[in-house]
Amino acid sequence: MAKLLPISLAVLVALVPGGEPRPAPAWKNVSWLNIDRPLTLESLRGRVVLLNFWVFTCVNCTNTVPALVEFDRNYRARGLTLIGIHTPEFPPYAGEHDEGNLARALQQRGILYPNAQDNDRATWELYGIEYWPSFVLIDRKGRIRYEGYGEFHLGDAWYREWSHRIEALLAE
Amino acid sequence: MALALGPLAACAVAAPPRPAPVRLEAAVTRAGYRLSLIPAPGARINARLKPVLELTDGTRLQFDAPALTADSGYFAEPPVIGLERRPGRLRGLLRVGVCPAGLNVCESLALPVDQPLPPG
Repeated sequence: MAKLLPISLAVLVALVPGGEPRPAPAWKNVSWLNIDRPLTLESLRGRVVLLNFWVFTCVNCTNTVPALVEFDRNYRARGLTLIGIHTPEFPPYAGEHDEGNLARALQQRGILYPNAQDNDRATWELYGIEYWPSFVLIDRKGRIRYEGYGEFHLGDAWYREWSHRIEALLAE
Repeated sequence: MALALGPLAACAVAAPPRPAPVRLEAAVTRAGYRLSLIPAPGARINARLKPVLELTDGTRLQFDAPALTADSGYFAEPPVIGLERRPGRLRGLLRVGVCPAGLNVCESLALPVDQPLPPG
């Protein structure tokens, strides 16, 4: 698993090559932005889902946002649902838990895809996440097919790799 | 004087031990102490989420520095705080976001601090 690799090698790692995909655990976040009701994993069955664990104070996360916005623009109509799981690093005094601050960050960065506030880190822990930013790609049957972490940019090698993965799952 | 920090909060389960990505240094000043956060070679300290030292008496001290990297994401020099002269030890929890060298991710560290302060 990615968490067992030497840290210097583990920028982005496919988790389940050749293995049996495991079911994605159901998140229970109640506070959402960019959507008028909470999204559930069950309601997304039949769509490919890309979870992005991030926080607006993380430079590596915000540097990756343009690539994610592009994924949303390119693939939403074809069946991808991109979800930001906004997970604070510090306690509430730092302002990351504040819904208004998150709303401003979404607007400033042109993020139109749904975002869940994960202020208690429940979904972060449910998925065993360790780093900002992290990514989990879920297939149409609700199974985790790829996991990875690390900043990437429009057009770079990891952008192309994630594009390839998304397109492969959309084609299934 | 370098103060020892506790184990990394974000260590991977089976990864080999790593040196701490930051160290806390205390220097005596006229008013008390200046605490500096020194990143390990190549590591960068997140400036968008300024490091905080939470003392056991409830005081929160926020590190800062005027010089940032061009993208304003990281400190370009060690962030510092001033601490008034006090007897005894420095006890608390240091929270800092660190982006290790060669790894395009950030870690959030919560590092216990329990060390004597240098004599004034």
